[in-house]
Amino acid sequence: MALHDSAIIGYAEVPTVRRSTRDVWDIGAEIVESLIASTGVEKAQIDGMILSSCSTGAGNIFWSQTTADQLGLELDFCQSVDIGGCSPVASIARASMAIDAGLCETVLCLFTDTQVAEDNRKMRAFADEWTNPLGYLGPVTAFGLLSTRYAHQFGLDPACLGKLAVTQRAHALLNPNAVPTLQKPITLDDYLSSRMISDPVRLLDCVMACDGGSGVLVTSRKSAERRGVTRMAVPVGYGERTNYRATDPIVDPTDTGHRIAGARAFAQAGLTPADMGSLHLYDDFIIAMMIQMEMLGFCKQGQGCDFIAERDFHFDGDLPLNTGGGQISAGQVGLAGGGTNLVEAVRQIFGEGDKRQVRDTRHALVTGIGGIPYGRNWASSNALILSGEG
Amino acid sequence: MVDFLDLERKPSAPRSFSQPFWDATRERRFLLQYDKRAERFQFFPRAAALSDGARDLDWREASGRGTVFSHTIARRSRGPFNDATPFTIALITLEEGVNVMANLVGCAPEDVAIGMAVTLDWCPLPDGTHLPIFKPATD
Repeated sequence: MALHDSAIIGYAEVPTVRRSTRDVWDIGAEIVESLIASTGVEKAQIDGMILSSCSTGAGNIFWSQTTADQLGLELDFCQSVDIGGCSPVASIARASMAIDAGLCETVLCLFTDTQVAEDNRKMRAFADEWTNPLGYLGPVTAFGLLSTRYAHQFGLDPACLGKLAVTQRAHALLNPNAVPTLQKPITLDDYLSSRMISDPVRLLDCVMACDGGSGVLVTSRKSAERRGVTRMAVPVGYGERTNYRATDPIVDPTDTGHRIAGARAFAQAGLTPADMGSLHLYDDFIIAMMIQMEMLGFCKQGQGCDFIAERDFHFDGDLPLNTGGGQISAGQVGLAGGGTNLVEAVRQIFGEGDKRQVRDTRHALVTGIGGIPYGRNWASSNALILSGEG
Repeated sequence: MVDFLDLERKPSAPRSFSQPFWDATRERRFLLQYDKRAERFQFFPRAAALSDGARDLDWREASGRGTVFSHTIARRSRGPFNDATPFTIALITLEEGVNVMANLVGCAPEDVAIGMAVTLDWCPLPDGTHLPIFKPATD
């Protein structure tokens, strides 16, 4: 697969809200309209579409074709990606594959969800049988178990996690699309004194479920050059792993699939963690970002706290992280939430970060986490490296 | 606060391949799938061996002895469980070499520690099956 032969030529995002009064297709239509306006690509030229997971659409087994119909798109390729929080980042690799295979030329990657207003999920998984009878709350319980184990194996300083929470909140204050509920500054004391939800997971470790959407347009670089496109974010490395250590009867939850996905993405790109100008790490819980830093090779396993203490993650610091506030401070757009950090990475590479613009726009790393399995960490891990060529 | 074991829990809806597990809980027996070729146990029950994909698996009774692998204190929950917070959800490593998620009772949540020895007990469900729970081992 020649991943780098395709390019993201536009991005769009609607403001994240606590509960949408607009239909999920209205949000989708606004994103398509905005992508058409910002790229000059005509609607009729969009011949592929990839949708993220979507709680609102989860009751419709024809989700991608129905959405295409609602948006008036005639397509040569369409699909939904069902790996949860990984699916927006995964859609870039799949769009590139479809373009490379000659199936289509210009792919709309659309990430919308109105999970709070309209949740149509019915989960067929392990939970009814093995975890719901325990009073298990899903991800928050899973991260409580993971965090206790991490603390046992390596030690865990809550102030390090708090540093990330405070930095992300500062970024959200510079992001007009962040959910208004979270647009107030927090201090390290606020983090440390926020109430426990599932020890040692605090309220300010968690994402807030929200509604909204984002999207990008992917096309072949040749086609982009033919159209005279000057702004591009080129995918140069990608890795994905689902059910890491699936066959082991006992799994260390602090060891994740990002170890594999990250190594693959960096090798394909011919780059190292030190080359990344900004990090856009999937943040369903604060500790997930620290573990990703370890697994992706920014530091050794178990040394995340020391690493965090040494670095400045502000947009103007030495390792900018989730410069729009991430999902934890901008709001988690349901199962489309992976789009928030992806679009922020593209925005930064395009140099359109406004008050939160990073200095180094050469390369950005975006990751995903999708699905919570039984007693491990997360079901899918992915990593995408974007380069600002063009 | 209500007694944790008296909470109303929905009986499990077993799958075709997990039915033997739930049937055995009627006699308060904890069955594990045993994979003869890999010479190891697996949990939760699957339709096939995690090792090689073959569906030829034995059921063997577990000792019920284990240690705490990890734990968390549920401060909030859903439905009837909200009336019983705080309570413990733990991952237990059984002697047979598998991790099982279960409630740990008979011990204040803040006194639970990784490595603590625990033994199996049972919480009755309305359909006559039982839910496995664990309590501190008394030697």
